[in-house]
Amino acid sequence: MHDDDLMALSKKFDAMLEVSDDPAALENLRLFLLGKKGELTALLKTLSAMEPDERRAFGQKANEFKNYAENKLDEARRQNDAKQIENALGLEKIDVTRPGRRRPVGRKHPLTQVLGEMKDLFVGMGFTIEEGPEIEKDYYNFEALNIPANHPVKDIQDTFYIDGQFVLRTHTSPVQVRVMEKRKPPIRIIAPGAVYRADDWDATHSPMFHQLEGMLIDKNITFGDLKGMLIFFAKKLLGEDVGVRFRPSFFPFTEPSAEMDVACYSCGGGGRGCRVCKESGWVELLGCGMIHPNVLSMSGIDPAEYTGWAFGMGPGRITTARFNIPDTRLLFENDMQFLNQFNRP
Amino acid sequence: MKIPMSWLKTIVPVEKETRAFMDDMSRTGTVAETLTVTGTDITNVIVGKINKIEKHPNADKLLIVQADVGGGVMQIVTGADNLKAGDFVPVATDGAVLAGGKKIKRGKLRGEMSEGMLCSIDELGFTRHDFPEAPEDGIYVFLEPQTLGADARPILQMIDEIIEFDITSNRSDCNSIYGIAREAAAAYGKKLILPSIAVKAAAEKKAEDEITVTIKTPQTCPRYIARTVKNIKLGPSPQWMRRRLSSCGIRPINNIVDITNYVMLEYGQPLHAFDIDHVAGKHIEVRMARGGEKFVTLDGTIRVLDETMTVIADRDKALAIAGIMGGENSMVTEDARAILFESANFDATNIRLTSKKLGLRTEASGRYEKGLDPELSVTAVNRAMELVELLGCGEVTPFTADAYPTPRIAKRAAYRPSRVNALLGTNISAGDMENYLENIGIETRKKNSDEYEAVIPTFRPDIECEADIIEEVARFFGYDNIPATLSMKGAEQGGGKNRKQAALEHVHNVMRSLGYNEALTCAFESPKAFDRLLMPPDSPLRNAIKIINPIGDDFSLMRTTTLDAMLNSIAVNCSRRNEYARLFETAPVFLADALPLTDLPCEKLTLTFAAYDKKQMDFFDMKGDVEQLLEMLEIDGHRFESCSALPHMHPGRTAADPALGYFGELHPRAAANYQINARVYVAALDLENILARIISKKGCAEYKPLSKFPPAERDIALQVKREVTAMQVDDAIRQKGGQWLADVILFDVYEGRQIQEGFKSMAYSLSFRSAERTLTDDEINKKMSEILAHLAKTTGAVLRDK
Repeated sequence: MHDDDLMALSKKFDAMLEVSDDPAALENLRLFLLGKKGELTALLKTLSAMEPDERRAFGQKANEFKNYAENKLDEARRQNDAKQIENALGLEKIDVTRPGRRRPVGRKHPLTQVLGEMKDLFVGMGFTIEEGPEIEKDYYNFEALNIPANHPVKDIQDTFYIDGQFVLRTHTSPVQVRVMEKRKPPIRIIAPGAVYRADDWDATHSPMFHQLEGMLIDKNITFGDLKGMLIFFAKKLLGEDVGVRFRPSFFPFTEPSAEMDVACYSCGGGGRGCRVCKESGWVELLGCGMIHPNVLSMSGIDPAEYTGWAFGMGPGRITTARFNIPDTRLLFENDMQFLNQFNRP
Repeated sequence: MKIPMSWLKTIVPVEKETRAFMDDMSRTGTVAETLTVTGTDITNVIVGKINKIEKHPNADKLLIVQADVGGGVMQIVTGADNLKAGDFVPVATDGAVLAGGKKIKRGKLRGEMSEGMLCSIDELGFTRHDFPEAPEDGIYVFLEPQTLGADARPILQMIDEIIEFDITSNRSDCNSIYGIAREAAAAYGKKLILPSIAVKAAAEKKAEDEITVTIKTPQTCPRYIARTVKNIKLGPSPQWMRRRLSSCGIRPINNIVDITNYVMLEYGQPLHAFDIDHVAGKHIEVRMARGGEKFVTLDGTIRVLDETMTVIADRDKALAIAGIMGGENSMVTEDARAILFESANFDATNIRLTSKKLGLRTEASGRYEKGLDPELSVTAVNRAMELVELLGCGEVTPFTADAYPTPRIAKRAAYRPSRVNALLGTNISAGDMENYLENIGIETRKKNSDEYEAVIPTFRPDIECEADIIEEVARFFGYDNIPATLSMKGAEQGGGKNRKQAALEHVHNVMRSLGYNEALTCAFESPKAFDRLLMPPDSPLRNAIKIINPIGDDFSLMRTTTLDAMLNSIAVNCSRRNEYARLFETAPVFLADALPLTDLPCEKLTLTFAAYDKKQMDFFDMKGDVEQLLEMLEIDGHRFESCSALPHMHPGRTAADPALGYFGELHPRAAANYQINARVYVAALDLENILARIISKKGCAEYKPLSKFPPAERDIALQVKREVTAMQVDDAIRQKGGQWLADVILFDVYEGRQIQEGFKSMAYSLSFRSAERTLTDDEINKKMSEILAHLAKTTGAVLRDK
């Protein structure tokens, strides 16, 4: 009798489960079967009135059914939840190909990128960074660098004058003099900064541009040391396989003086030649030399005891070459369309 | 300095291919800049001989010529009327290319076949300066019979390789073919032997040919040599000389002028020729010009001279501006009977300054201003006399005047081979050193085992000391042969950036992370900038340092503010329709204590940033950037308060801190001055102050324990008078907030309905937190009532009803 009731209830449950497709219906079904006043609860209440044997047999079946029903309900609920989430997700579908919302991120100026790389290379080789004034005393810009009054170099460099005594520095070399005056060797420094020459603006000239100079003074420093360090630098900056040559040149503050050329970055050098290198295959990277003994003694360093080398170069020219920038003036315009291009140093 | 290879090879044998030769020269210090090959643009021009000339049947002005070109006879129609049978002429054949790229094709001219063209000198790329024998309007006729069908270009010496050398300012001796030849020989381990010069000076010695010379200013004229030539036969110089002059960029004129220029190219010594009949009193005097003295130079221009300029004068008048240009009054003309040749030495600085003052640069002044060897004067004048005799353009007299008060003496410099090697890092033998030096004319004498004396030739004043000798040795040993050594000498101190440099980099990093691009602007300022920025006439910013020789008025000052440049950059972005721009720059301004300068000015670093965004930007976006910057830099204790005193800034939307600077919206009138059609927000902060504060912080940030206890929050809505500022309310809250007050956030400000006229509502969220425990309601409530009481007392704020 009881078994029949259980069977009927089971069938009824299965049928009702079939049509319960939302959480409320499932809850109602649970209450109908397992709630305080549920059908199965009612059946189980009759257990106490049964004979022990019958009670055991029926109790087992009823409990099996209870477990069965609970599992079924859980599973239906889980499926129902999943379906609901899925429905919701379907409604939330968006066009992921629409553009993202961005915040502006600032860029380093291309010149700063190149200058920064150069500074890092020298700092890594034990150099410190020194700075000096951009409005400079004539003495530091010229005389202390072995450039006497009325020397043509003063014209060649087309100096901007403030008056007889003050000039806009035409190179960063005065920083070297200031360092030599206040420090005893060993000295191992670089001096980056803005310099000025009375050139009109055009594609390759600007009246203000940047230089990076460096020097190393100690006992027994040789021209070979100069070569070693600057070749190392050039390879790190331009690539391990870059061709390099040194050729004699003239600067009043170094002797011997040299110009360091690298294989043309436009045509690759190797005798092919192009406009950038004037068909020679080489482009000037920097000027350098052994510091002139007069310069050492004027700054209070005994040239018999110490020797040293110095170099100077123009990061602006290297910047325009590296990024293939056709006109120096672009560096000073600060157009966002320009500045936003240089993410990769 | 242009050097034709055809000429150089007659002086020094060059076996290498020209490009390789140029490389060898560059590597020894004589930079070979460019190579120009001449004559190769003209093709298919051959020698023809005219057999027959007939009238063109259909054209009065045309002729039909039969020209024998060796392999056959060509029929050519021509308009020229200077030809006769038997003439040898240049013939452009079918497919020829002439000067200017003109192409020649066979074709019919007025019904008659023309298989090519007969060429004038113009069509071959020359002028009558190059070939004076050519007719003004007609076909060039070779002076001598030529091989029929031969390439005309070598006959006319058209094909050459011309190297342009870039001579450094210390090597005036290389501004000449012999100077270059000396370097070329040395580059290949040889010593150049200069040719000897022989002057016959066969004319009879006569007093009338003599001239007196006085140097009144030996400081500007160390030497003056005069020689005379009579019975002048003026005419064109020979083709070889004209070709060499043209190749070097000098226009041939006549034999006398050409000789002076030719010798200048050979030796680097400028010469000048005067017509003796115009030298009054047969007297030459080198003196300073008189102030205001007027003088007409060869080019017909009137020059006003001053007392610093040296002139060559006769008894009565100036004849030339020394070393720069001669005068019209003594110019050599067709009727010159006798000529005075000047070979002089002038002070480089004097010539340079005079040339600059007069705005007059010539081949001669360009050479003098680099400094010339007075010993060269005699060689050059002798060579000129030799050429006068060789070319038969006059009779050289035996007379020579040579005023040379203080002869230049060859200097001596000591050098130690050990020191040479020590400085270069090499192991060059003393013998090799001697060879390198001897090859460039430096004699060496061994004093003892490690000391040599070098006798420096007078043409090398740039060599003064041992270091200079070392360079000469290094040049010919080869810089590329010096072994490169990577030494760590001098690295004991360790490299790195100092604290200020590191702090500046930090500022850059933060500015970039706030979305600002780094800008680069020029330190020059226009005087108009101050008006653009609405600065009053007495603004101290107008006391800018002036540049004496600016490239233009707009670049004539050193900036006292970076704002003008920044706004110009913003304007560029605006005018190019960029929707937004965000820029920052760290750069110095130049502030003078007194003008004119008595000492170096203060170069004060400034941080400037500016932004606009046509979509969405207001004052509080800029303020947020400033606040975040200062938070990231750990700069606290700043108080940016309303500031209406800055003329270029919006009076109601600018905030300033007395120590740090200001930010806000640009005044619309200033924006209009820059043609910026957007609201622009700018900040100008004292970077020196910021960097000093960063540096003053010892060590690094220290860890603070994290609170495990949740904060308690209290929201309040206050009603305050409209003029009460957020800073006043904030201050009042914090004054009584105590140690637990963690944060004060203003989340709403409201004016309007429901609020009494003249008042506003400010809604704050306060959070309290302790690191040790959860705060009780009672504790917080007690704090809140203290805060509210204090707020009421200081700001009149009352709690709004809920």
